[in-house]
Amino acid sequence: MADYALLYILFAPFVGAIALIFVSNRQLMLVRGIAAGSALVSLLASLYLFYAYDHVKGGFQFVQQFAWCRQLGISLHLGVDGIGTPLVLASSILLFAGIFVSWHIKDRTKEFYIWLLILAAATIGVFMSLDLFFLFFFYEMSVIPMYLLLGMWGSHTKTYNEMTDPEGLKLRDSVGFILNFGSNSKEYAAMKLVLFLSAFAVAALMGILLIYKYAGLNTFDILVLREQAKLMNIPVLGTTLDKIIWLLVFFGFASIAPLWPLHSWSPVGHAAAPAATSMLHAGVLMKLGHFSIIRVAFEILPETTRELMPIAAVLCMFSIVYGGFVAFYAKDTKYVIGYSSSSHMGYVFLGMAALDYISLTGAVMYMFAHAMATGMLFAMAGWVYDQTHSRDIPSLGGLSNRMPFISGCFVVACMASIGVPGTVNFIAEVMIIVGSWNKYPFQVIVAVVGIVLTLAYLFKMMRGLFYGPMDQKYSHAHDAVAVADRLPLLIMIAVSVGFFFFPMHLYNVVRSGVDPLIVKITRVVPVAQTDEGSGVRSEASAPPRTSDIPLVAKSPSPLTPHPSQGLE
Amino acid sequence: MTFALTMSSSDLLLLLPEILLTSWLCLILIVDFSFPRLPNEQLAYFSIAGLVATLGCLVWFDIAGITGTLFANMFALDRMALFFKMFIVGSTILVILASVDFIHRFKFFRGEYYALIVMSALGMMFMASANDLLSVFVALEFSTIGFYILVAYLREDTASNEAGIKFFILGIFAAALLAYGISLVYGETGKLVFSDMKAAQATPGLAIGFLLIFAALGFKIGAVPFHSWVPDTYHGSPTPVTAFLSIAPKGAAFAILLRMFLVALTTFKPVWVLLIVAVSILSMTYGNIVAIAQKNMKRLLAYSGIAQIGNVLIGLAAGTKMGSDAMLFYLLTYLFANLGAFAIVIAVSEAIGSEEIEDYSGLGRRSPFLAFSMLIFLLSLAGVPPLAGFIGKLYIFVAATKEGLYALITIGLINIIISLYYYLIVVKKMYVSEPHDRSPLKVSGPIKVVVYVCLAGTLAIGIYPQPVTDWVVSAILAFSNVADPTAALPVPPAAIPFGG
Repeated sequence: MADYALLYILFAPFVGAIALIFVSNRQLMLVRGIAAGSALVSLLASLYLFYAYDHVKGGFQFVQQFAWCRQLGISLHLGVDGIGTPLVLASSILLFAGIFVSWHIKDRTKEFYIWLLILAAATIGVFMSLDLFFLFFFYEMSVIPMYLLLGMWGSHTKTYNEMTDPEGLKLRDSVGFILNFGSNSKEYAAMKLVLFLSAFAVAALMGILLIYKYAGLNTFDILVLREQAKLMNIPVLGTTLDKIIWLLVFFGFASIAPLWPLHSWSPVGHAAAPAATSMLHAGVLMKLGHFSIIRVAFEILPETTRELMPIAAVLCMFSIVYGGFVAFYAKDTKYVIGYSSSSHMGYVFLGMAALDYISLTGAVMYMFAHAMATGMLFAMAGWVYDQTHSRDIPSLGGLSNRMPFISGCFVVACMASIGVPGTVNFIAEVMIIVGSWNKYPFQVIVAVVGIVLTLAYLFKMMRGLFYGPMDQKYSHAHDAVAVADRLPLLIMIAVSVGFFFFPMHLYNVVRSGVDPLIVKITRVVPVAQTDEGSGVRSEASAPPRTSDIPLVAKSPSPLTPHPSQGLE
Repeated sequence: MTFALTMSSSDLLLLLPEILLTSWLCLILIVDFSFPRLPNEQLAYFSIAGLVATLGCLVWFDIAGITGTLFANMFALDRMALFFKMFIVGSTILVILASVDFIHRFKFFRGEYYALIVMSALGMMFMASANDLLSVFVALEFSTIGFYILVAYLREDTASNEAGIKFFILGIFAAALLAYGISLVYGETGKLVFSDMKAAQATPGLAIGFLLIFAALGFKIGAVPFHSWVPDTYHGSPTPVTAFLSIAPKGAAFAILLRMFLVALTTFKPVWVLLIVAVSILSMTYGNIVAIAQKNMKRLLAYSGIAQIGNVLIGLAAGTKMGSDAMLFYLLTYLFANLGAFAIVIAVSEAIGSEEIEDYSGLGRRSPFLAFSMLIFLLSLAGVPPLAGFIGKLYIFVAATKEGLYALITIGLINIIISLYYYLIVVKKMYVSEPHDRSPLKVSGPIKVVVYVCLAGTLAIGIYPQPVTDWVVSAILAFSNVADPTAALPVPPAAIPFGG
């Protein structure tokens, strides 16, 4: 029963989506009930997963494997390690919250929930896939629902609404439309998002196919590939094959993260999306990028990762600073949050690039923390938009009189996003900064400047929305009063604050996933933690943190070859 | 099972599906002439009954493993032939079901319509079994003659007439090329049966002969540069005929291509791979780029069909057993997605009388069922998980990766993105644009059945492909002479040629 936790988490939303097909849109409460019910099953199961995950044992747990296509060597191989577990939890929290945030959608409610559930389930699927094929399968599957969610329930920007006339609409079908970067329509945003992400996903697929071919094992199984694939030192095109694969995989997945030069789809997409979709997208979909890089590049090509990860260290600075400055000057609430998200994802890349226990643990915790913070911000930006039909910061103001609860929550969300003590973001940020200092001091200074920038633009937005004089045309706007409206915000605040006061389980879980990875990449055995005494661990006492899967147990542990090759 | 060269009653067993369908074809005509007042649906269901019986017979052959050759190897019934025959008969059944409503547009000869469709199917069944150049020629022409008439069946419609003329002239031209190619090959080798040509010497005559045969078959599958008839013919033909034309002849022609390249020409693989790679790249790129500009749904599907054929050719370029498996798999996923899409084109044009993409605006509000199905079919054609098309594309790419065709795969992957764009334009029209007219659309029963079957196929293959992969793998296994399976083993990583 408990072993099937992953299947409940993954398939509850799918079952909900299928059940919704057979319900009429007129039975609104039933539609909402089915959506919320299936999200609740997923949430409870992932809470169980999170607390039942044995961080002392580490490795991949709750493993499920079903043969799926023998000829291609594909199996539905599911399992979570310390990195996947908190992200699965974050996804199901955001899905559950997102169902309530979109409680008031009137147009085609059923279809909205169907696509939202599919989007979330596919995202969750990536976090638990141990098979390269299924990782890509769920990844690509999570991109397409975005098109419909943005296109059908999204909103145009202010400029677009002012710009277009009935005649101008025809231009949107032309080829030039896709190249027209000035366009601000939701259709443009949706198309750009899908094509951009698919194009880079295809690059990652090329990398996956190369891994599949040159490993020569006729399998897509990550656990087999990371032990047995020999991809190093094959000369290709004046460089080596592993570097080409790594670059394909890294940039393929970094586009969704989004790393700086590949970010342009993200703010546009977030701005056009309905609130719940933005939440899920900024909250967890963007983490698919980091997660897939960790899962594919870090696991299968550790040596190459050590060699090439400085690329991320350079690009992440641009992410942080560029995103921060654009967010400061943006006039549209969702653009501010969107650019802030892509700026904050730079921290995760910094934590990953440093390849240090503390920094990588911090990076994973930051993904979790950022999911909550940005989820709250998007939920409230959505609420303000629903009430005022405006996202234009200069025209808004003084809303704290009309919506005290929302403005109170907004302060908390800003605090969380900045990383003020009292929220789990603080712990994560400090860990990234402390962990990366030795290797990348300059980047850390940039990151700290980025925090100041975050403070500046979020407070500017807060002032612009909730304080100062209020335009009388917004006097009909009202606060979130109903339980269904308050619940999602309260859940996310509780999680964000709760993990600040009780971070140890989260930390231990993440650390159990990070340790074997870093050992493999850097060959430095970690400084012992908390309950296991202090000092540098000797190689003899270091418990090999491998999974209990028979497949792996038969082959030598990843730790064994390294001590003989010398510790630092 | 082996059979003597002289005909005996047990040899006739191998021809049972064809004999069954031939007699049914005659029955259809007799019934049509004897009962002129018989409603059209009755005749459609009567034809379907015969086809279902044929399909049952084929399934029985496949399960019982009844295979063999006839007429001095002219007619080969192996499991690959059985696969393609089931493919053809299955698509014929769906096409006839989809025609039931469309048929009222024909002013005359409604009964003959079914007879002609069954006749073409019969010709294509012979194509699937054709194992020598003469039977290729005869079977190919037999099936095409039916199509010449079917394409021009809307007699009052100038577009249909134009389609008929174009198809006829180019078709005759292709037939001439085929005949000339056959004569050259026969002159050079003195052989007609594919499996006898393995020892042939590479002479200019042989090369030109096979190029001409390939051109004729390329015309049949609509690959660039033999595609010029495709858009106008697809556009002008009655839509069920377009659907039929877009699926069944391609399956049959691929059966011949597989036999020709993997049996007769195995020794020349390094040479013909370049030819197939070039044709594949041209088809994918041309089809997808031109499809972007289309305003008419049938033309869009025509160009997307050209591109899909380019994808199938990637499997042929791999030239291995796995590549052939992947081709069969891909054709099957293409059958469901493409026939489903055409069924919806028929349903929409029945309801609103238009096939323009503009008129699909707001289909998601007017008929959620049709719009959702169309979404599934288009995304399957584009290759989005968890639909059948995605597995098909991946299968083909994996097969090509194993042969190191990286340039081809890269272009194939880029083309997925291009195709996603124009499929999503249709999706946008259906779901995002508001309808001009909000009245709900009515969908008739037979079309619904077709759509449900295609939906089931697309989703089932996408979610659990194992049964189908097992089927295609065994279908190719029994088909002898495929390049040795050791080719699939890893190549020692020396210097890697990073190109086509």
